[in-house]
Amino acid sequence: MVVSKKEVNSVSPRIQKLIEGLYSVTPEIESERAVLITKSFKETESLPMIVRRAKALEKILSEMTVVIRDEELIVGNLTASPRGAQIFPEFSNKWLLSEFETLAKRKGDVFLISEQTKKALREAFQYWDGRTVNELAEQYMFPETREAIAAGVFTVGNYFFNGVGHISVDYAKVLAIGFNGIIAEAEAEMAKADTSKPDYIKKKQFLTAVIIAAKAAITYATRFAALARDLAKRSQDPRRRDELLQIAENCEWVPANPARSFYEALQSFWFVQAIIQLESNGHSISPMRFDQYIYPYYKQDVTSGKITREKAQELLDCLWVKFNDVNKVRDEGSTKAFGGYPMFQNLIVGGQTADGVDATNELSFMCLEATAHTKLPQPSISIRVWNKTPDSLLLKACEVTRLGLGMPAYYNDEVIIPALVSRGVTLRDARDYGIIGCVEPQKGGKTEGWHDAAFFNIAKVLEITINNGMANGKQLGPQTGEFTSFKSFEEFMDAYRKQMEYFVSLLINADNSVDLAHGERAPLPFLSSMVEDCIGKGKSLQEGGAHYNFTGPQGVGVANVGDSLAAIKKLVFDEKVITLNELKSALDSNFADKEDLRQMLLNRAPKFGNDMDEVDNLAREGALIYCREVEKYLNPRGGQFQPGLYPVSANVPMGAGTGATPDGRLEGTPLADGVSPVSGRDSAGPTAAVNSVSKLDHHIASNGTLFNQKFHPSALEGESGLQNLAALVRSYFDQKGLHVQFNVVSREKLLDAQKNPDKYRDLVVRVAGYSAHFTSLDKTIQDDIIARTEHIF
Amino acid sequence: MSAYGLDLQAKGIVFDIQRFSVHDGPGIRTLVFLKGCPLRCPWCSNPESQRLEREIMFIASNCIGCNKCLAVCPTGAIDLDLPSRVRREKCNLCGKCIEVCYAAALIMAGQEKTVEMILDELKKDNIYYRRSGGGITFSGGEPFIQQDFFEQLLAGCKANGWHTTIETTGFTTKKVLKRVLPLVDLVLMDIKHMNDQKHKKYVGRSNKTVLRNARLVAASGVQMIVRVPVIPQFNNDLINIRATANFAHSLGAVKELHLLPYHRLGQKKYGYLGRKYPFEGITPPTRSDMNRLKTVVESCGLRCSVGGA
Repeated sequence: MVVSKKEVNSVSPRIQKLIEGLYSVTPEIESERAVLITKSFKETESLPMIVRRAKALEKILSEMTVVIRDEELIVGNLTASPRGAQIFPEFSNKWLLSEFETLAKRKGDVFLISEQTKKALREAFQYWDGRTVNELAEQYMFPETREAIAAGVFTVGNYFFNGVGHISVDYAKVLAIGFNGIIAEAEAEMAKADTSKPDYIKKKQFLTAVIIAAKAAITYATRFAALARDLAKRSQDPRRRDELLQIAENCEWVPANPARSFYEALQSFWFVQAIIQLESNGHSISPMRFDQYIYPYYKQDVTSGKITREKAQELLDCLWVKFNDVNKVRDEGSTKAFGGYPMFQNLIVGGQTADGVDATNELSFMCLEATAHTKLPQPSISIRVWNKTPDSLLLKACEVTRLGLGMPAYYNDEVIIPALVSRGVTLRDARDYGIIGCVEPQKGGKTEGWHDAAFFNIAKVLEITINNGMANGKQLGPQTGEFTSFKSFEEFMDAYRKQMEYFVSLLINADNSVDLAHGERAPLPFLSSMVEDCIGKGKSLQEGGAHYNFTGPQGVGVANVGDSLAAIKKLVFDEKVITLNELKSALDSNFADKEDLRQMLLNRAPKFGNDMDEVDNLAREGALIYCREVEKYLNPRGGQFQPGLYPVSANVPMGAGTGATPDGRLEGTPLADGVSPVSGRDSAGPTAAVNSVSKLDHHIASNGTLFNQKFHPSALEGESGLQNLAALVRSYFDQKGLHVQFNVVSREKLLDAQKNPDKYRDLVVRVAGYSAHFTSLDKTIQDDIIARTEHIF
Repeated sequence: MSAYGLDLQAKGIVFDIQRFSVHDGPGIRTLVFLKGCPLRCPWCSNPESQRLEREIMFIASNCIGCNKCLAVCPTGAIDLDLPSRVRREKCNLCGKCIEVCYAAALIMAGQEKTVEMILDELKKDNIYYRRSGGGITFSGGEPFIQQDFFEQLLAGCKANGWHTTIETTGFTTKKVLKRVLPLVDLVLMDIKHMNDQKHKKYVGRSNKTVLRNARLVAASGVQMIVRVPVIPQFNNDLINIRATANFAHSLGAVKELHLLPYHRLGQKKYGYLGRKYPFEGITPPTRSDMNRLKTVVESCGLRCSVGGA
């Protein structure tokens, strides 16, 4: 089934207007939530933390400004202004205070902030001094851990300063039973609990908090109903009046009650999505298998004639725009790792059902179409591919890829399902996986995956190994031998392993410290109410309530490590054309006056990405050393650590903190992104790059791997271009790759966009596990994207 | 000799193997470029393909000025003042300069390879050929120049079950053509000009052999697509394009004609080889020029695409 160009490109005037409304203003910081939670916390000092969190949410949802934007059909705002950002002082706030004056001036992810907002926030922040998650987490960390973080070996910045997010709740359950159903469930659990058991006390507090939060969600919806009725009364336009009355009816019924129609299902879904992101600012709140749990409502309405496919598509398109109304302010440092206002709301179509049959349905296609229509960075749309994925769906996905949005991302069932099973997930649950955020697989509605637990710079560990445990002039790691003393390549590898062992142990300390702090200071009752077994166990997600618990830190710099190891092995130990002394002094001086040596390293040693076993196997080993170390450990929620290999865009800042490496890379330049080859080093074309990447062990990296490929539009022209792209995806997946995504945009266009940003405000590109507006990115990230090898043949 | 009667150790000169080639035959293909060509088309975008023997290329922009090449050259052929670095008349192609040129400014165009080495390289993308309906395409130069090696390679591809395409100028003997055709699934036949005078004047050979071989291929039942490089001031007039299309159509078996617009992407390589670009000052045809010619081809009853497929 190939959809005509007209269908792919047409967008209704309403959608056009909604998009223009969203992007007509620069995002603004709002103080309302921060002020309300602070007030609430001042009033609840004596209560248990879980109840305090519920009461704070209740206050926020009852008192914050509710807005219905022009022409909206799906309602529910997080901020009064479009794409604004609420503040979450309970996680951390000092960085924001210190960046008030630069938010509007920084190079990427700009936010406006008014003097009035600054004043309100300053007042609110005072209360949180010493009470934040961040401050508690820091107390838990060992001094060595903090030093390793300061030296840039790894960062746990994401959850250290913000909410965790990275979750998919049981949306289907809310749609089916409503929050009244969840309240009933909590009440029943309370009624049947054994009050004599010692855990009853905490269980009761948790269930009380769940009920408060669920009621608050209903209150929030009814406020939209009232607003819609009010607006309808004042509307001059009979068409809009009817729409507003319909909105009012929807919001009076859902999410309190079971959704009765496709439209109500979408509205109920959105309330869940919005409220989760008001309770915490953890991003990557991922709708996951939307085409599966919404489909029954669609099918029922289309079959009964209640709705046409066209109308249903428009509602979907409206929802897609709404996903872009969510925003988050990050500190300037983090914007370099997470550039372009990303929210990572990952929505995946296709794949198989829990029973193992193909899950593709009409809605799978319509979701892809909604992305083609709106051409916006959110939701992060993805597709699951397995042997029985119909070509029609894969080709539809390739067609969307060809629009140049960097979406959808492609995921391989044949790797992810066994990888999850190897982590103790049941086969049925594994088949029902979805993707969180960038590339992290999990069973939605049952998992607290802590997927973005850290970025760990494995190239930095290599640098530290070369320096016998020293980094930035300090003895940071163990002494594993002077570089110049190594007699064989294996000796060097042993030293690298020992350094890895040490630094991963510090990483675990960092993650577990942050984990504990979230459990103590920011348990989330609303979010927990929609994830299995929290209600049953009577425990929040943050305290181990979920059925599956993981912590997933990411290794960054796989290709640099592989290339560096290959250079050392071949040129130093095998061919002996460079001595260890020469190499060490060249690295120390960042190749000053040693350009010929650098060129030898670059051109005379094999490079990952060219389908050469001698280096690909070393990249595999370099990554495995990290992965095997990580999976040894447990987290405080009773779950296992599982490694990932993806960088978001952290490969740029992490490269900035890494010295010259034996692959010929200069100090401070970006590391390779994800499991992709080093930019410009894969010169044998996309199939060679794919083959190299597929030689890594994608199963052990069960927290996800990320492979970026860039194509010039001319390589994918015509019907045969689509077929070839689909074949490339299938071939990569035949070889057990986990994920791949494509940027289809010409280098000239990106260079022009740097020069004339105003001409390209709508240009969406793939950054890492997400897409963003190119012009909203910091220049260093823009340069990194331009540098990624472009395949044109 | 292998089990298939193949001579896996047969050697030839190859100047490039390009994977993920999507414009020279169906699906995802690997393109093998054999060195050597009987023609000297002045617009040629692969000048390093023309001579059969290996050649040194100098890419000045890669040079880091270490001058190691000068030190190692045994024949005094390195001249730092020469834009193309190598005094070709003095060079014995020993390759010592290339060995020490870590920055890859000096590179060898053409490597001697065995059939086995090439098949090993081709096997790496087996999975893509299968998934995309692709295969192997042989190009040049003119692959028939190294006819025995070429035949062995084709036989090797067939032993692996791959779809084979050849891109040819049509310059070969009847006998060789007949021997090779059973190993070929698709012929991309270049027809540069229908007027023999012009053909001779520009490329140095008569078109008679080309047209005869085109008829032979058509009669053999092997699928054939006619390709016309569209070269301004040479063959881009409507009369010639119509004549070519009519000829192709008259063959009966040919259903498709590709128009390949002249481009200047290979111009730099002349400098690398120390040669002068013979086609200075010619502007590539515009998209609308190409579309006009496409309409002409289609009016002759053929499918036509611009740029190959």
